[in-house]
Amino acid sequence: MEIKKLAESLNPVERKVLKVLDNFDYFHDIMKATNLKDVEVSRALQWLQNKNVVELKEQQKEMVLLDENGLKYLKSGLPERKFLDAIERKTSVSEIAKKAGLSNEEIAISLGALKSKAAIEMEKGKELLVSITGNGKHLLKHGFPEEQFLREIFPKELSSLNEEEKSVLENLRKRKKIIRVELSKIINVELTETGKKLLKEKIEDDLIEKLSPSLVKASAWKGKKFRRFDVKINVPSIFGGRKQHYRRFLDEVRQKFVALGFKEMTGPIVETDFWDMDSLFMPQFHSAREIHQAYYVKEPKYGKLDEALVKRVKEAHENGYETGSKGWRYEFDVKRTHRHMLRTQGTASSARMLASKELQIPGKYFAISRCFRYDIIDATHLSDFFQTEGIVVEENLNFSHLKGLLKMFAEEFAETDQIKITPGYFPFTEPSAELHAKHPDLGWIELGGSGIFRPEVVKPLLGREMPVLAWGIGIDRIAMFKLGIRDIRQLFSHDLEFLRSAKIV
Amino acid sequence: MPTITFSLKDLQHLVGKKISVEELQELAHYGKGDFEGYDKETDEAKIDFGDTNLPYLWSVEGVARLIKGILGLQKGIPEIKVSKGGYQVVVDKSVIKYRPYIACFAAKGKKMDDYLIKQMVQLQEKFCESYGRRRQKVSIGLYSYKRLKFPVHYKAIEPLSIEFVPLEFKAKMNLKEILAEHPKGRDYAWVLEGFDKYPVLMDDKNEVMSFVPIINSNFTGKLEIGDEDLFFEATGIDEEAVNLAASIFAYALHDRGFQIYSVEAKYPDKKVMMPNLKNESIQIKSEQIKHLFGLELKENEIKQLLEKSQYDFANWKVKIPVYRNDILHPYDIIEDIGIAYGFDKIKELPLTTFTHGSTFKLNEFIDKVREIIVGLGYQEILSAILANKELLYRKMNIKDFGTIEIDDYMSETYSVVRSWILPNLMEVFSKNKHVEFPQKIFEQGLVNSRKGDEIFESHRIAIASSHENANYTEMRQILDYIMKCFGLSCDIEEAEHDSFIEGRVGRAIVKGKKVAYLGEISPVVITNWGLEMPVVALELNLSELWEVMER
Repeated sequence: MEIKKLAESLNPVERKVLKVLDNFDYFHDIMKATNLKDVEVSRALQWLQNKNVVELKEQQKEMVLLDENGLKYLKSGLPERKFLDAIERKTSVSEIAKKAGLSNEEIAISLGALKSKAAIEMEKGKELLVSITGNGKHLLKHGFPEEQFLREIFPKELSSLNEEEKSVLENLRKRKKIIRVELSKIINVELTETGKKLLKEKIEDDLIEKLSPSLVKASAWKGKKFRRFDVKINVPSIFGGRKQHYRRFLDEVRQKFVALGFKEMTGPIVETDFWDMDSLFMPQFHSAREIHQAYYVKEPKYGKLDEALVKRVKEAHENGYETGSKGWRYEFDVKRTHRHMLRTQGTASSARMLASKELQIPGKYFAISRCFRYDIIDATHLSDFFQTEGIVVEENLNFSHLKGLLKMFAEEFAETDQIKITPGYFPFTEPSAELHAKHPDLGWIELGGSGIFRPEVVKPLLGREMPVLAWGIGIDRIAMFKLGIRDIRQLFSHDLEFLRSAKIV
Repeated sequence: MPTITFSLKDLQHLVGKKISVEELQELAHYGKGDFEGYDKETDEAKIDFGDTNLPYLWSVEGVARLIKGILGLQKGIPEIKVSKGGYQVVVDKSVIKYRPYIACFAAKGKKMDDYLIKQMVQLQEKFCESYGRRRQKVSIGLYSYKRLKFPVHYKAIEPLSIEFVPLEFKAKMNLKEILAEHPKGRDYAWVLEGFDKYPVLMDDKNEVMSFVPIINSNFTGKLEIGDEDLFFEATGIDEEAVNLAASIFAYALHDRGFQIYSVEAKYPDKKVMMPNLKNESIQIKSEQIKHLFGLELKENEIKQLLEKSQYDFANWKVKIPVYRNDILHPYDIIEDIGIAYGFDKIKELPLTTFTHGSTFKLNEFIDKVREIIVGLGYQEILSAILANKELLYRKMNIKDFGTIEIDDYMSETYSVVRSWILPNLMEVFSKNKHVEFPQKIFEQGLVNSRKGDEIFESHRIAIASSHENANYTEMRQILDYIMKCFGLSCDIEEAEHDSFIEGRVGRAIVKGKKVAYLGEISPVVITNWGLEMPVVALELNLSELWEVMER
């Protein structure tokens, strides 16, 4: 930075400190000279060092400091002075104590100190009588060396004392809490080349520190300069209100589907076996339907259903229901189909939509559904998660359209048009296909499952056969890739620091 | 989903052609399988098969058969010859009530080795566990018939009437003891629950072969290296499934070079020759191919594709190999035509019909509320909906107000559906005691509760603020601000709610509907969560508020 700009960037405290640096190089001297507080000087020096104006050097030194009583005596005088002051010819000690306001301890100290200096004479009678000597009068007039010492600037380097001072120090150290000597960190301030040049520069004192409404109103800023700020400096971090990272991602997924012409559909999280599985032609003996694969609800055990619909689905399971299918050929348990459970798959919403009066043909539908599975929770499994599924219902759609649809999804969600569609298996679709996409960073990933609903699913629900393309996308995996998360549990993190700092994508 | 392991060299031997790992990866897709990996050192390949109704693929012999078809090395249904065996199984009427069906055959001409026994055990286990519904629907046994005296008897007996040494054990046990003490007995006792008699297979010397479907005898009921005369039995409660098991094993052993021999089942009222390897047929139409795949194929093309998939085809009639039991509808055949044709060769077509995209008005409203709260500097939270009563009630100092509980949960932590959201936010505070304050958080989501037989699902939002000076005013201001944003006004009445400090909790009423609680959280609750910092909170029912607004 140019010296001129540098000069304009100094804040009032820095300016104050800088001005005394010519004469002082110790932290405490600077404090005394500028009359600033410890923190102010230390902050100003730190800033000046950041600006390469000074170099701060720390040293360990033995320092002499005034203690509690030292500070007191500096203000109100030493007890021995008060003692001397109180003597009139021959005065009793008790009278002196009363007059000078000294405690017994201070009296004892004063007597010792004054005696050693031969400043008093004592006479023992009924009471101890004290009179002043010539030495004493001299001390009263010219001062005690101890008083002089207390008036020095502290802290003071021990090594800077002369012989005489040292002996005074020794005397004082014997007394209670007047002087203490300790090892302390001393900051030595050295001006850099820049600093030396800066001192020669004219340091403007009349810089505007803060623009205020009154300055603007009175045009008082005109003709003056604003202090320059160091705009490159680091500042303390803040956090703001924000949407949760995974929900923000799901919000965008929903917007995307709406933009692609899909209508949102929904269903309850407490479902019946009927909508979750039976209506989807999953036989009641299917291995995915073991008690330990889904969460069944304690109470209420059974839900209400449209019994005419149940009858058609029952027939589909038992004999194919007017579709030309053999069906699964077992006795369908009507009571069981009413059983309440937590939804295991978003496809339940698709089944509900197919049977709904709201269904529009042609129509495209999607749902972002909360689903539940009987799973041990770890880095790749949750028992409570989101699924994104949907259907496209239209006459004359076939597998070619399904492929086109899947390609569109790959482009929208995995940012690639390179897809691979392989045979798959779902109880409710025929044909069934898995979608793999070549992600630009991750290579081939499994993106989802899809297929065309079986007639055994469509006819009982819709009342007639109709092409229904069905798909599901592994949205949580895509979210993890996008959010840079490796552990799926972080999608539901309760760590506030993580939530406040999670990447927004 | 069954994952099977096998030796790649063995597969190549069965197919009669060298197959690279990359080729295997591609070929697995034809069986709806995902190649899981290959270990060069052990020569072990792994495939995960997705279709739970195609158990013939759960052994290397089945995989080899699939691949031979796809590569054109085998056209149509592979031939199998069954020789007359002259063996007999007598099915006693006592067993009909419990486990009525049995299918058997004999096989000879090859020696069992370690690898082959492992393959057979793998197929047996996968079949019985998954397709056989953990042995209830079907269970399977393999024996060396040299150790058996025919005819074999299938009957049900009193649990204490007989003793034998079960597999892997040394001492004789009766059937009750086996169910209580043998590991397999404990695993599968549920299949026999409620039965007063148990099914067994015994040979003509009254030697127990198997306590069905629990465990075989240690003497007759196991295969050993070097055995070459095999007796197969499958029993169960589903005739089709039992026959399917027999046909899959008969084909697998036939592919291994065994000669298959018939066994006669003598039921009380009829005699049946086994194994039943009769192929069923189904009629298809060329329009169906066009309908599902948009393909217009000539009859001979269809024939070729079907033969690749091990079907026979003549006059639009498709003959289905007996080891496939998954064909319910002509579309199941059409899918196989599409797979054999190649999914990758089918062209992509765009969807061209215009449809109007939209979301629910309620969702749009909810998003606006979330946006308002974010604007007030609040961090959004997303928690699991599954919770527990400790979190929802005990720690919140209130009584259960109607909870959806899970019948057979895996972990207590996730044993109920949450009935309100504020406890989730308290949990967040408790996990972030050392994070910078103020902590201002909210969560919007679903809650469920029940009254008697009725379930109530609603969207709610909970908002909470924790810092030294948190107070009622803060929450009241937020509530008022939300109302103002939507041009609503709300009345507050004094409320009683033990999660909050008495006299500092209110209930918000909008157009006569009680939609929210708000107030200062009770120090009892704060302490329950191991916290010290004051918390103020509100929970607002967005579904009800929306309903009021729509009115």
